[in-house]
Amino acid sequence: MTTAFSSNVASFARIWRRVGVFAALILLIIAASMLSDRFLSVPNLLNILRQVAIVGILAIGMTFVILTKGIDLSVGSLLGISVVLYAGLLENYSMAVAIPLGLGAAMLAGLVNGIGVAFARIPPFIMTLGMLSFARGLAFIYTGGTPIPILNENFYSLGNGYIAGIPIPSLILLAVVAVSAVILSLTPFGRSVYGIGSNEEAARLSGVPVNLYKVIVYVISGLVSGLAGLVYASQLSIGTPIAGQGYELDAIAAVVVGGTSLFGGKGTVAGTFIGTLIIGVLANILNLTGVDPYVQQLFKGALIVVAVYVMSRTDRA
Amino acid sequence: MPFDRDRLLLEAQGLTKAFDRNVVLKDVDLTLHAGEVHAIVGENGAGKSTLIKTLGGVHRPEAGKLLLDGQDTVLRSPADAIGRGIVVIHQELSLAPHLSVAENIFLGHFPRTRLGFVDRRRMRSETRSLLQRLNIDIDPQTLAVDLSIAQQQMIEIAKAISFNAKVLILDEPTAVLDESMVDTLFDLIAKLKAEGLGIIFISHHLEEIFRIADTVTVLRDGKLTGVSAVADIDQNWLVSKMIGRDFPEFSAGMRKIGEPALEVKGLTLPGVFEDITFTAHKGEIVGLAGLVGAGRTEVAQAICGVTQPSSGEIRIFGRKVRLRNPKAATRLAMAYVSEDRKALGLLPNRPVRENATISKLSRFRRFGFLRLGKERAYVGEMIRKLDIRLAGMNVEIRTLSGGNQQKVLIGRALAIDPRILIFDEPTRGVDIGAKSEIYAIMEELVSKGICVILISSELEEILRLSDKVVVLRRGRIATTLSRDEASESTIMHAAALAG
Repeated sequence: MTTAFSSNVASFARIWRRVGVFAALILLIIAASMLSDRFLSVPNLLNILRQVAIVGILAIGMTFVILTKGIDLSVGSLLGISVVLYAGLLENYSMAVAIPLGLGAAMLAGLVNGIGVAFARIPPFIMTLGMLSFARGLAFIYTGGTPIPILNENFYSLGNGYIAGIPIPSLILLAVVAVSAVILSLTPFGRSVYGIGSNEEAARLSGVPVNLYKVIVYVISGLVSGLAGLVYASQLSIGTPIAGQGYELDAIAAVVVGGTSLFGGKGTVAGTFIGTLIIGVLANILNLTGVDPYVQQLFKGALIVVAVYVMSRTDRA
Repeated sequence: MPFDRDRLLLEAQGLTKAFDRNVVLKDVDLTLHAGEVHAIVGENGAGKSTLIKTLGGVHRPEAGKLLLDGQDTVLRSPADAIGRGIVVIHQELSLAPHLSVAENIFLGHFPRTRLGFVDRRRMRSETRSLLQRLNIDIDPQTLAVDLSIAQQQMIEIAKAISFNAKVLILDEPTAVLDESMVDTLFDLIAKLKAEGLGIIFISHHLEEIFRIADTVTVLRDGKLTGVSAVADIDQNWLVSKMIGRDFPEFSAGMRKIGEPALEVKGLTLPGVFEDITFTAHKGEIVGLAGLVGAGRTEVAQAICGVTQPSSGEIRIFGRKVRLRNPKAATRLAMAYVSEDRKALGLLPNRPVRENATISKLSRFRRFGFLRLGKERAYVGEMIRKLDIRLAGMNVEIRTLSGGNQQKVLIGRALAIDPRILIFDEPTRGVDIGAKSEIYAIMEELVSKGICVILISSELEEILRLSDKVVVLRRGRIATTLSRDEASESTIMHAAALAG
């Protein structure tokens, strides 16, 4: 009897993870459309999708890391370092040079994170906290503290242009989501990421190359930070060394609101994407209804806590 | 040990108990005489606790009679049962933590002074003499919180005696005790038996039944499947009554043993194990015996690449190998099923399906992607073959029973198509039915020519299954025994004493 009950609760938790986050988004959209008639318009919805792109992309990389029971606090700084590199390199070189080098730098930093975590066994929180500071410092040194303007027209359109009426940043986000979803659910690597987060030692004993995969996960996080940096630099047309400051927390928020467990082994990128949208829609409707930006912070904070609380209730069974 | 067959304390006839339409106890008889220790055994869900609760006045039976001292009796409540001399000692002990031993014993029937106050002096002296009588060496003034689990249990029993219990029911009393405490408890039980109490004793440890009980009753699925004097039966009888079939045929000694599969020579990891040398062949089960801490698991983990030995060599099918990590062992078709399911086995919050295939995802890979359909079919087949009982392959593995979890982990090891398989305490924490099925799986594996290394603390298990027994003591090989030489005494002697 008790087992039947607990399996009911457990299956409710599963359903919540699959549908609950989605249902929460739908409810929020319904509420938003009742609060403002400007909400449910194509330009506004596309606007939301464009606004959430940067944090959304970061959050997908963060999902990989958190699934392994890790955390990556450095993503904001990695975004920053790629932004100043794009800006600095575009002064003298073409996009074909600037983009790979910017992405490469962020991946390299991710590689260092991964090696520190997997081989030197430094706790992810500490390793990436160190990188947060280090990479930000590099960004300041590289720019000498002054923002570098970006004048390249083609680069500008990356963050501000449209394809088939959809903002390019949104398309980049959707592509990152789709590719990540396939990797996580359909490749041995993705499957092992869940295994590592669920029980690292058991995964190792089963023959999973745990250290290698952990390194890859942080490299992925670095790569998507660089991608997010691309969108950022292009949208603002300026390479400022403070770019992305504090974004790591927004990314983590999107991941946990999307139902991924901070204890590892549980969660999906689809959930993270929906979590990103929930936060985006909330911000949007608060803007449309003219809520004071300071007060908006309160809503966001409460949302994160409530979402995680609900999840932990359903998860305990 | 004899008991008084003429003094029947308790007799249950045809006890039947159902919850809703679910019959959990069906037509069960039980007799208990003065001075008799009567063991009740059965798998989880066999109805043991329902029977106890019925005898202890918690449940009222739907049908059947209970006779106490020959009198037809209906127990209305646990208090009623205690009043009639039937006391149940539950697994969860229930002393009041901040009262003294004496206060706990006399809680509910404090001796009083003429003025009606609690007579502390008498309470202490009576407690002291009661504990003395029972050979329990505890100061009556100690607070219950300061007692060990074993001591708390003793005090609960003493408390029962102070209630003039005639029938004492102990629900898995040894589950919470370590080896030496079990001895003390059994001394106490012998004492009570000598005083003429009737004792009903529940245990999962079959060897305890042979040590302490006069009579045994076996339950399965709520029904009585066997009653016998313990002197007339053996473990096989018990097990077959418990699981409703016999243990698998053990083929040790009659197996077709092939070429050497695993050769270990002089394997050494200083401070952990030294100079480990043995050979295991195709189609052979080699038992690794020894006390806890003798280094059995450590040797197994070094063989499987979990740790790196500092010297010595390992040959697999004649080829010298150096295994840098568990993956290397997997590639050589060598699998290890860990003793520590929780820490080293389960991916607790992942589905059974993923738990089963994590060891060999390449099996389902095409063009870099997993073919989920193929994986599902494979796991379905595994569930059927290993007879894993679950709601579906997508339930999280932590929801399964210990035995079924273990079978999934064995399935995980089998997924790599092993030629060498190391089982480390494969039946720890699984019930007897699953145990017998795990033995059957091992028998089938060796019959297919797989080389099996069995690490176990249960000598029964080692003796039944092994063709050869390697005994470790403090990180060294104490002796290697052939099947004919191996016995409980030769193994224990080598493991603990000699040298």
